Amino acid sequence: MLIFKKDWIEIRRNWQILLPIFAIPFMISVLLPTFIFSIPGILSMPVSSLNGIETLMRNLPKNIQAEVKEMNIQQALIYIMLQYFLAPFFLVVPIMVSDVIASDSFAGEKERKTIETLLATPISDSELFLGKVLVAFVPSVIATIVSFLLYSFVANLYSVKLLNGKLILPNLTWLLLVFCLSPTIALTSIGLTVIVSAKVKGFREAQQISAGIIMPILLMLIFSQVMGIVILGPQVVLLLTVSLSIVNFLLLSIGISSFGREEILSKLV
Amino acid sequence: MQAIETIELTKKFGNLVAVDKLSFEVEKGEIFGILGPNGAGKTTTIRLLACLLSPSSGSANVGGFDIVKDSMKVREIVGIQTENPSLYERLTAYENLDFFAEAYGILDSQERRKRIRDLLDFFGLWVFKDKKVGAFSRGMKQKLSIARAIVHDPDIIFLDEPTSGLDPESAREIKDLMKSFSRKGKTIVFSTHVLGDAEKLCNRVMIISKGKRVALGALEELLTNTSKPILRITLKKLDQRVIDAIKCFKQVKEVTVADSSSVVSIVLDDVETITPEIIKSVVLNGGLILSVNVVNQSLEDVYLKIVRGGKVEN
Ligand SMILES: Nc1ncnc2c1ncn2[C@@H]1O[C@H](COP(=O)(O)OP(=O)(O)OP(=O)(O)O)[C@@H](O)[C@H]1O
Ligand SMILES: [Mg+2]
Repeated sequence: MLIFKKDWIEIRRNWQILLPIFAIPFMISVLLPTFIFSIPGILSMPVSSLNGIETLMRNLPKNIQAEVKEMNIQQALIYIMLQYFLAPFFLVVPIMVSDVIASDSFAGEKERKTIETLLATPISDSELFLGKVLVAFVPSVIATIVSFLLYSFVANLYSVKLLNGKLILPNLTWLLLVFCLSPTIALTSIGLTVIVSAKVKGFREAQQISAGIIMPILLMLIFSQVMGIVILGPQVVLLLTVSLSIVNFLLLSIGISSFGREEILSKLV
Repeated sequence: MQAIETIELTKKFGNLVAVDKLSFEVEKGEIFGILGPNGAGKTTTIRLLACLLSPSSGSANVGGFDIVKDSMKVREIVGIQTENPSLYERLTAYENLDFFAEAYGILDSQERRKRIRDLLDFFGLWVFKDKKVGAFSRGMKQKLSIARAIVHDPDIIFLDEPTSGLDPESAREIKDLMKSFSRKGKTIVFSTHVLGDAEKLCNRVMIISKGKRVALGALEELLTNTSKPILRITLKKLDQRVIDAIKCFKQVKEVTVADSSSVVSIVLDDVETITPEIIKSVVLNGGLILSVNVVNQSLEDVYLKIVRGGKVEN
């Protein structure tokens, strides 16, 4: 795992990478929930003004309605926010962390022209590819888990206060989200980045284009959840995991072939 | 056995033929220079031989291995210093060499340490071993990238413009290093724009232009075959009558007078027989001769002639 080791040292010394790796998880798992609950009024709004939200809630599936039956509307709102609405936002962590690292490791190495001497060594294509995928994958899984711990802590802090000592996390959906869907979507992001990296010159373009492809999909998920079309439950998370795995398989096979030695080097001048 | 043998090696980039049916051989232990103008295809040739590119057609054998079929084996036994220093700027000098030593299969860390120490010592970089390469000067990077190319003690070494960016002293060190390698039986192929380097180092040179081979051979051979000696006469005073008289000889190929001086340079086919005749005629036409000497054309003259002629030899 020579490549992994080398890339890892490089990443550790690159604040352009470190900054987003630390900032994104912090934003999603601490700032976002804190921000939502510090919007003045949400917690102290008169019940009548929450009527609109009540109709929105009526659109929610039966099982969620059952979960919040005992609560008053404010409590229900917080519960649903923490439990469901913020869940897809959470996927930004594995997507962005792996995107930032992979674009530096694949496109960045090309941009800095170090790829030429690297490819002159007898390191096999597969070892090279695997090392570079792992160096993006491992930190993004770690970042996801750390974010989850942070988020659980923050979410429970609110729920203990507002829901009479009830701890809302962890639950099955979130565990599946963190340990199945997040790693899978990290790989999707890496696969996309590898393919994009083969086509563009700089690591910034690689980063932006691949994020530009995957983010709208995530936004769709966020919206469809707010509209009540899809609700992230264990089944949905598993279904997403399985379908993304299939997409990953395709992306990574295309990635491997676009990462051939000749492919990269014939583009170097 | 030949260290390198190529047969009609060709590389096309789209419509551009960067290397055009190049055939040559390099013997084991030889220092072989590739010369040619910018864009001639030197770097591309070296990349092909180091298996960084695969040929469009033709073939080559490096250290007994085919560059297409056995590319991994070729990679193991060759070292290449590329045109760009190609070092990891965020890693230290030591970390760079350590990474490449391991990538080339030196798994024992004690052994790696010793190799790296020796190399960095040799290049005077040991004191900077823990400094990040990003902070190195161009010359330091160049040295480190040569150290990187030989970290695994390869049998065949490719150097793409090894002395570019180096001060005269460092350039000298590199040249001495190349010579000592060749004495150890290692084969060195290098490209350069510094003709003097080629003159001092090479057993043989190949000149290429637009991807084609235009000359190949020992330098003295190239010099005597392509160049005519020059008869240089210094006159006390320049006189057009003298010049016209010289031009009358049909063996005289070319007469040039250096600006604002009275030195006449005459390119001849055969110095031996015609020189006395010319001098006689100069004197008869009233020329006062201060000195006469015969000089060979410089490598630069020959090089420029070959490259400008662009004639492909067979
Ligand atoms: N990856 C590539 N894609 C397209 N064309 C290329 C590529 N690499 C080189 N070329 C072209 O091939 C030709 C030969 O280039 P090469 O780099 O081998 O020249 P060179 O002799 O090393 O020149 P220099 O003295 O400037 O280093 C040039 O016309 C160059 O533009
Ligand atoms: Mg070149």
